[in-house]
Parts: sequence; structure tokens; C-alpha cells
Amino acid sequence: MWRIPDERDERDDAWRTARPFPHVVIDDFVDPAALDELMTILDDEPVERYEADLYAFDATAPEPTTAAFRAMRAAFLAALAGPLARITGKVCTRVDLRAYAYRVGDYLLPHADHQDGLDRQLAYAYYLPSPEPPTGGELELYACRADAAGALVEIASAAIIAPRANRLVVFDVSTISLHQVCEVTAGLRLSLSGWFYP
Amino acid sequence: MTTIGDLVGARIATVLPDVIEPADAAALRARFATSPTSRYALVDRGAYDAVPVHDLAPFADLVPFARDATERDLVIAEARVLRLRPGDYLLAHHDRVYEGFPIELVVDLSVAPIAGAEIHYRRRGQVFFRVPNAPGSVAIVERGPTVTCNHTYVSKRHPPDVEVVRLILLLQATSATKSSTV
Repeated sequence: MWRIPDERDERDDAWRTARPFPHVVIDDFVDPAALDELMTILDDEPVERYEADLYAFDATAPEPTTAAFRAMRAAFLAALAGPLARITGKVCTRVDLRAYAYRVGDYLLPHADHQDGLDRQLAYAYYLPSPEPPTGGELELYACRADAAGALVEIASAAIIAPRANRLVVFDVSTISLHQVCEVTAGLRLSLSGWFYP
Repeated sequence: MTTIGDLVGARIATVLPDVIEPADAAALRARFATSPTSRYALVDRGAYDAVPVHDLAPFADLVPFARDATERDLVIAEARVLRLRPGDYLLAHHDRVYEGFPIELVVDLSVAPIAGAEIHYRRRGQVFFRVPNAPGSVAIVERGPTVTCNHTYVSKRHPPDVEVVRLILLLQATSATKSSTV
């Protein structure tokens, strides 16, 4: 189902040279013939509303409720672990996988994903086909400078990645990997997202 | 049932509608529009315009509203204006935490209501009071060591020239009437 090269290619270099922090964009990540199967697996997964000062979106539960979704998570890790180790230099043995739906007005404001004790080492988002492709919903990455205590003291927008269907984005998680999901102003933004762990 | 949380958390939270006449709000907006303004842009905490207010005397007429709501003698200790436009917000972890129990008085000077632009007061992270964007209103909320607030994200679906304008006054009890805790 997942299409990621087993051998070194230009994306290995892209990770290292990406700004403002290491990330890689892989288009046409899922074999088009397998997209229907993927969407069918998601059809039965319930979502709940999540709202806080930082975000507003619908998402599935942290743990998939169906065997098919859990199997897809396992297959995703199995397919990605090797290539990601080569591209990022990080060995991943566990992954979260949840489906997210950003409706009109939904957003995820700037944050860094890093939390002490959680061991998140890579974050990812895979954009699903949408019945109404979104306006907005871009992944915006920020360039940051931190002071000696680790507080961010300079922040500037540095990259914007469109939520194009069948696109996978993987990015490094650190104290300065600041990013946001811009507000969806029209349409529906569907994605699979989570973190890879050692 | 009264809980310990009720006793040590914010005990006063109310919104008084239609306190400020539109003409008075317009005059205040005009005054603050020409005041030195700083843009806060550390976006992991907030994105908004801030106007420090040094002359507190013009707002003395608002103190009785807080006095009536709290039954305390209060004085204005500090003031500032926040302006939020589409895309702006102020997150709870950026808010100031107070050791004592001052009263926060928020005067809504906005021209017109903006849907979804609220202040959420939180006790230990949980929202206990929502202040809508209601021009002319005054919100009166007791702060405390476990109370923070966030100014919600203003949607970019609104016209780019709309703005939420909030005059925020911090009122302290005079020494003779400082409230005890527990």
C-alpha cells in the first residue's frame, strides 16, 4: 500500500538540508489502487470533537477501535521504519496513528510537539483525499531561536506545505520544531497523523 | 455542595451587558489607536497587539461595578488594551498567574460582536467561565493562583479589518478590605 523507496534517493538529502528544521515531503505515498481500501478502513472509525485554546478539530481516539485500523497502523510502521531510519537516522519501533478531520474554522495553533518524557522523535501527517478539498489547512513551519533557558525568543514563518491529497510529511520533533495547521477556511481537511517513537 | 475548589478558586465571574455607551467606546478606541502599540508575535504563546495604559484615572467610574459585584473596596492597579484581529489569539500558558485574588475587569470596546472571539477563564486548565465578545459589556472575574485565561483564536473567515478591542483593568483590594483565603 505504502510507496516509499527502499533505496537512497534525493529525499535523504532533502531531510538534512530542509529548513527551518529537518523534514521531508513524499507525494503519491499510497498506491492509488489502495486508496479506496484505506478509506474503507477509516469509514467505521468514530471521531470525537477536540477543542482547547490551541486547537479545534475532530479526531479518532488515540487507540484505534477496529482491528483493521490497528493492522493498518502496524503495516504503516513496518513500511516506514526502515526508510525513515535511513533518511532521518532515527530508529523507530512504535507509532501513533489517528485520523483527523479539520472542518471549516478548525485549526491547530503553533506548538512544537516536544514534551519531556514522551519520546516523540518524528511527527508525520498524511493527507487523505477529501470529498471537498480544503482551502487553508496548510502545515506552516517556523524558524525559531531559543535562549539559554530554552524559551523561544525569535519566531518567523519559514515554510508552508499544502495539504495535498496522498502527500506524506515527516518532520523532526525538537524543542524548536514549531509548526501549526493553518485554519481551514473552506472544505474539509482529512489526514492521518501521529508520532514515531524509539 | 461547596468544594474546596469553590473556596480557593475564582468565586466571582460575571458579565454586565451594555455598561459602555457606543460613543464612549468609540472615544476610547480612538484614544488607544494613537497610543504606542507593540505587536506580540511569539506565536507559541500568542499573536495580538498590546497597548500599555499608564493613566488610570479616566477609568475610575468603572470601579463601582466591580465593588458592587465583589463587596470589596478596590482600586485600579494596572491597565492595558489588547487588540485581536483575524488570526490572533492569546494562549492560556501565556497568561499571568496571580498569587493573590485580584479582580480583573474586561471592558469590551469592540465596534461589533465577532462570533467565536471569547475569553475563556480556566481553573486548573478547565474552562469555568466564558466571556463572549459583546461590545459595551464589562466582565468582572476574580483571579487567583489557579486561574488563567485565554483569548480565543479569531477566525480568518472574518473580514481582515475587524478587531476585538479589550480594555483590561486589574483591581486590587485596598489594604483594609483585602479578602482572606481559607
